[in-house]
Amino acid sequence: MIHLENISKIYPNGNEALKKISLDIDQGEFVFIVGPSGAGKSTFLKLLIHEEKATFGKLTVNGRDLIKIKNRKVPYLRRTMGIVFQDFRLIDKMNVFDNVAFAMRAIGTPEKAIKKRVRYVLKLVGLEGTDKRRPNELSGGEQQRVALARALVNNPEIIIADEPTGNIDPERSYEIMKMLVAINRRGTTVIIVTHEHELVKEFGGRVIRIADGEITHDEFLPTKYQPERILNSQNSSAQNIPEKKHRVNAEAEEESPAEQNDNENENTAEEADTL
Amino acid sequence: MKLSSTGYLFKEGFKNIWNNRMMSLASVIVLVSCLIITGAAALISVNVRSLISQVGDDNEVTIYLKPELSDLESIKLGGELGKIGNIESYVFNSKDEVIKQYEKNLGEEIYESMQGDGNPFGNEYKIQLKDLSKYSETVEKINKLEGVDKVSDRSDIAGKLTKLNYFVTLVGSWVVLILAVVTLFIISNTIKMTMYSRRFEISIMKSVGATNAFVRIPFIIEAMMIGLISGLIASGAIIAMYSPVRDAASGIIGMIADTTLTVKQVWLPTLLTMSGIGMLIGLIGGFISITRYLNKEGGAIIGK
Ligand SMILES: Nc1ncnc2c1ncn2[C@@H]1O[C@H](COP(=O)(O)OP(=O)(O)OP(=O)(O)O)[C@@H](O)[C@H]1O
Ligand SMILES: [Mg+2]
Repeated sequence: MIHLENISKIYPNGNEALKKISLDIDQGEFVFIVGPSGAGKSTFLKLLIHEEKATFGKLTVNGRDLIKIKNRKVPYLRRTMGIVFQDFRLIDKMNVFDNVAFAMRAIGTPEKAIKKRVRYVLKLVGLEGTDKRRPNELSGGEQQRVALARALVNNPEIIIADEPTGNIDPERSYEIMKMLVAINRRGTTVIIVTHEHELVKEFGGRVIRIADGEITHDEFLPTKYQPERILNSQNSSAQNIPEKKHRVNAEAEEESPAEQNDNENENTAEEADTL
Repeated sequence: MKLSSTGYLFKEGFKNIWNNRMMSLASVIVLVSCLIITGAAALISVNVRSLISQVGDDNEVTIYLKPELSDLESIKLGGELGKIGNIESYVFNSKDEVIKQYEKNLGEEIYESMQGDGNPFGNEYKIQLKDLSKYSETVEKINKLEGVDKVSDRSDIAGKLTKLNYFVTLVGSWVVLILAVVTLFIISNTIKMTMYSRRFEISIMKSVGATNAFVRIPFIIEAMMIGLISGLIASGAIIAMYSPVRDAASGIIGMIADTTLTVKQVWLPTLLTMSGIGMLIGLIGGFISITRYLNKEGGAIIGK
């Protein structure tokens, strides 16, 4: 679902952030991207979400050719991804519910479908009952879970997280990671940029190391973490998550942008029960 | 825009105005001033035109012929007048009739002495012009005719009014043009500030796949609301001022009362036009700044 072939990114000021990177990430993978500061990790994510354009090479994400993609199609690419940031990026003056609903409103989902879906996703990340609270009344870990709910609410195929645990204490980080694993188990591809070796060692999966714009390692680490522990832990709202339904109509949606929203909403409303 | 989102987008638009109320207020004030000046200039021009067309109906120009011109020669000159064009009608006034007008003022003795060859006046023609805006051209032609002493109308109001109208239109259009540019600038800056204060939300919207068109709508609504509010305030002010100003002007020049438009005739067109112009300026100003923003800073998502 993600295919890079000899991708280079040279910023306008001449910085070569990525040098001829080739890489494939399949549907359902759990991927850590690690590497020193300035290695090009964020740049890699920016190319995936088309915040930046690659300078050379071939890049396909979720069936879309990002070298040729038209600007007006970029929003529809982004609807297939959920992005999580180090600094949460929650809107302080909105409560938890509205912060999550915001992602649905922004793509024109009707209020009726929003209510049900937001409640459901908040439950998924263990934040039921916090609807009316403001982000600044929550711990860092809880805030990141709201952000995670927002990333999930439009039912993305990929979750992209740039240092999602960078501002959270280790224990809470562990919780967030457990949730990302649970999300991954539904079939959602998860790509996490992180500096935290402990988490990488604990959760394992595919680990791609970037240094100075090049991939130096790409290996599979066995996980020490037992998914069963999710089911046993008391705080586990992330349990019993059914497998994600595959989106068969993703392309059809894009071909008819005018009806896009309607398709998307139907899709969302349908899956609200099954997800 | 989908119907289901309309409510949400409008709510956002109004929220923008409120959250950014100082700037919104500033742009409303500037826009109201612009619209009042524009509207006043337009109304003056419309009224002056109405005045001219009505004054024109009974506007009479008198042609004084040289006293030595005989009656026969004078009548021949009447034929020449017909060839000049732009003359609706003309009436001949012999010098005997002219002196008769002054009979009372002069007193019997002097009046008697001025009969016949003692009459200092010449024959006259009173003419009506077809098109008053060609007043000076026509008068010039008449002046060139052999035997014409001088030409004068009763007041030359029409000529002055035509000049005034030209002046109002000219100055008005310049003022309007300059103010329109200033207003566009102010509105687009207001919107830019709102967008800047909401850049965080915009970046989140874009990160979840909101289209530019969708992101734009609340800001366009904001800009158009500022325009509409300004249009309503400005037309309200103008409509309220209209009658007092018209009455005051009538006090100085009586004919204004019958020749200009009443507030009943002007209020609706004024309201509609000014609200429309306000919204249009809002739309254009908003569109410019939003598009610029979205194409530049608005693209950043992960950022840093
Ligand atoms: N907009 C930009 N313009 C110019 N150079 C940039 C830009 N963004 C990043 N760079 C440069 O590209 C290189 C890679 O940056 P990037 O942000 O991808 O690193 P990173 O691996 O995410 O680092 P960190 O771990 O510190 O977040 C760095 O040398 C950085 O200075
Ligand atoms: Mg980074």
